[in-house]
Amino acid sequence: MGDQKSRVNVHSVLTQVSSRPSASDETYPLTRLDHAMGHHTIHVIFYYEKSPFGSFDMDPIRVTLSEVLSSYPPVTGRLTRDDAGNWAVKCNDAGVRVLRARVGITLDEWLRSADGNEERDLTVWEDMPEVPNTWSPFRIQLNDFEGGGVAIGLSCTHMHGDLTSLILLFKAFSEAHHGQAITFPPFFKPPAPPDRKFSVNNSKSTSYLEAKLQKQTPSVKMSTATFKFSDSVVKQCLSEIHDKCPDASPFDLLAALFWIRVVHLKGPKHDDHTHSLSLCVDFRRLLQEPLPYGYFGNALNFSLLSLNEEEMDCSMLGRVAELVHCHVSGLKEEEFWATLHWLDLQKEEGGKYAPPFAMYGPEFTCVSMEHMIIGDQPVMYSMNFDSAKPVHVSCHVGNAEGEGLILVMPSAEAGLARTVMVTLPEEETAKLCEDQSILHLKPTMLLRSI
Amino acid sequence: MPQILPDFSNSVKLKYVKLGYQYLVNHILYLLLVPIMVAILIEVLRLGPYEILNLWKSLHFDLVQILCSSFLIIFIATVYFMSKPRHVYLVDYACYKPPVTCRVPFATFMEHSRLILKNNPKSVEFQMRILERSGLGEETCLPPAIHYIPPTPTMEAARGEAELVIFSAMDSLLQKTGLKPKDIDILIVNCSLFSPTPSLSAMLINQYKLRSNIKSFNLSGMGCSAGLISIDLARDLLQVHPNSNAVVVSTEIITPNYYQGNERAMLLPNCLFRMGGAAILLSNRRRNRSRAKYRLVHVVRTHKGADDKAYRCVFEEEDKEGKVGISLSKDLMAIAGEALKSNITTIGPLVLPASEQLLFLMTLIGRKIFNPKWKPYIPDFKQAFEHFCIHAGGRAVIDELQKNLQLSAEHVEASRMTLHRFGNTSSSSLWYEMSYIEEKGRMKKGDRVWQIAFGSGFKCNSAVWKCNKTIKTTTDNPWSDCIDRYPVHIPEIVKL
Repeated sequence: MGDQKSRVNVHSVLTQVSSRPSASDETYPLTRLDHAMGHHTIHVIFYYEKSPFGSFDMDPIRVTLSEVLSSYPPVTGRLTRDDAGNWAVKCNDAGVRVLRARVGITLDEWLRSADGNEERDLTVWEDMPEVPNTWSPFRIQLNDFEGGGVAIGLSCTHMHGDLTSLILLFKAFSEAHHGQAITFPPFFKPPAPPDRKFSVNNSKSTSYLEAKLQKQTPSVKMSTATFKFSDSVVKQCLSEIHDKCPDASPFDLLAALFWIRVVHLKGPKHDDHTHSLSLCVDFRRLLQEPLPYGYFGNALNFSLLSLNEEEMDCSMLGRVAELVHCHVSGLKEEEFWATLHWLDLQKEEGGKYAPPFAMYGPEFTCVSMEHMIIGDQPVMYSMNFDSAKPVHVSCHVGNAEGEGLILVMPSAEAGLARTVMVTLPEEETAKLCEDQSILHLKPTMLLRSI
Repeated sequence: MPQILPDFSNSVKLKYVKLGYQYLVNHILYLLLVPIMVAILIEVLRLGPYEILNLWKSLHFDLVQILCSSFLIIFIATVYFMSKPRHVYLVDYACYKPPVTCRVPFATFMEHSRLILKNNPKSVEFQMRILERSGLGEETCLPPAIHYIPPTPTMEAARGEAELVIFSAMDSLLQKTGLKPKDIDILIVNCSLFSPTPSLSAMLINQYKLRSNIKSFNLSGMGCSAGLISIDLARDLLQVHPNSNAVVVSTEIITPNYYQGNERAMLLPNCLFRMGGAAILLSNRRRNRSRAKYRLVHVVRTHKGADDKAYRCVFEEEDKEGKVGISLSKDLMAIAGEALKSNITTIGPLVLPASEQLLFLMTLIGRKIFNPKWKPYIPDFKQAFEHFCIHAGGRAVIDELQKNLQLSAEHVEASRMTLHRFGNTSSSSLWYEMSYIEEKGRMKKGDRVWQIAFGSGFKCNSAVWKCNKTIKTTTDNPWSDCIDRYPVHIPEIVKL
């Protein structure tokens, strides 16, 4: 947060409840993976040119929101500890906190002039208190711009779900508003491991997790920049590397590009001669018994791709993209189950899960949202209000320390276009924005102070 | 309180004795008439037709006598019909159903209470205990301004709530009855705690473009029994104005009256009062007679304000910090009991069958003359009424009345379920209860309904309605989406 006063002015707080009482007093336990993600928070911001919330207090859109919340009892509940001391959600209908804020400039001006840090003000960043029984884990912030635009910011703890869950919750809301059936209805049964033995010891993921557990990272001031790459540019780039990597996806290409450039920026490492990239991939459809997209919870896996220094120095984009591609497509469900099994083994006496540690980081982490493109349409841009798509969608992950984080997300423009949000230590972000290899792809830069 | 008769009142024999006694006394006139008619018939038969004809001829009538007696008869008939009070019919009524966004689950209420009263955990505990035992459910509603942390009770928000509740109820009433706004001759609005300028009745006149010669009244400050006071006023006006329609709007606006301090006696209303409103159409027009739902039979008003304790038992005042709230005294239930006794002493002779009145009279004489220690006889009001609508002021009120009037669980079901689903909506709760009885299909032609309301002052008002036609269940009422879930069992204490 800069020295200047924030341009986002929060003026009221209220509670939005669901429309029907939930079936009495259920307690929804959180899974091992949910607990492991507890160090982080997730934030998604949807920008619309015209706000669908009219008069607000008595607007029928709020009735729709209440109806949708009735289908998601864990969202309106409160965190509580179960007998073993683990977190569970008590489905007591307490509701979600809604904050209303006003921004003194227009939406376009904001997208041009605000920087990544200021964008954080559009959602709620609150630490979970010691006793969270009156604390709402889900918060919606409605930011009204001058001239009618709105930014709807949703945030929650990473324990409750991942970015996919939050985005699909919002999509359900937009569909309900238009009286349509919900494409990805909520699903609350966590995945159960099949009856096969998993060897914990040799798994790549588990050794990686062991390493994470040990590392401590000093916290550095980070800043975020957003790059939008158009469909044609990505297509051209993919054709350029076609010989090295024929099946590259835009994610492979952009992850490789940014990794190479960031490594270049950071300069040579002294203690370690390998460069590592942590890849975060959604596992919903990769399991043998696929989880529905609407599964509300965490279903992602972190894995490590390493290259040694020499390889990195002389590698071309194509080669690195090929490596990323092979790694991602080679991920099997065993990795996922092995991770869960390892987390189980970390339990303390009495069945309490170990305290969470940073899952995003300390290495440079890259999150893939390729699974959010179904058919040819980016799901993230399909939540229409009054036939208007979102102008822009941003995602943030809280407490993602370490070397940096990049999120490769779909763009408003369908097809191969992508939006990349990069979070790095301040000076590195500034240098990255001037990096020639990236600027060569003619990205549209959003949300960074010039 | 037990009857004066000995303990074996539960035995079957005594039940038949009671039934026989009731039948005898209630139909005494018919029973006396039958032997007289039999005697006359025997006499006539004995006399034979000739004798009767001779008897007739012996009566000399001349013209003057005939004319005078017929004029007398016509004159008496005219005076009788002119001085008979006009019948007041309740054509239909509509109750307001709040939107689901206004719902207040227990968890939300307690959470807001904890966040706002964070320096007063004892007050929070008190509110939790009240809510647990209140008899309210998870679907009661508070206005939007109260959902904010902290609540934002501006005048604009209060007007907004008033417009929402009153206009919705009115729209619903106009649609149900087919009434045109220009046909409204009398308008009475009662809302105890919110009285803006211009009044709420002026707000209605402005919104619906009512006639300029409308007789409008706005009653404020009269508490939860103001609904029946408005009905009484409408009835009196309809005696004076022939061929008229009167609309009565009963509501309570919660927004400006949500207590924001931490004095315990004043926090109680926050836990119980909820959003609600009703609009009722009364008429004395002949053409409404066939389509009206009810006919108003009696309204009995009792005011105990002359007694200081009764006057102060529901009192609006400032607490130590200067915050305004309504303080409820500890002897509220005792005073309510006294007011009820007063009211039923007046209403008893008007509605009870002769058998009960006789028993009551004999016990009264017996207590005065023979032995003052005899327990007073509580008349069995279940013989006078089929349905009871007891103002859903709180669980304690309903329990107390159920005990005092010896009512069964089914008689007070409407009141308890209204308290559960809608909370204490003040003057309009009686109409939600009537709606419940109708939606359950229990209202048949000829059924008599007793509405009892208590209010600050301390007042106890009753209205007696007689059902004009068997009422079919409909879908445009506040119970339509949940009536199948009711009645629910309401536990003594809900675990929060």
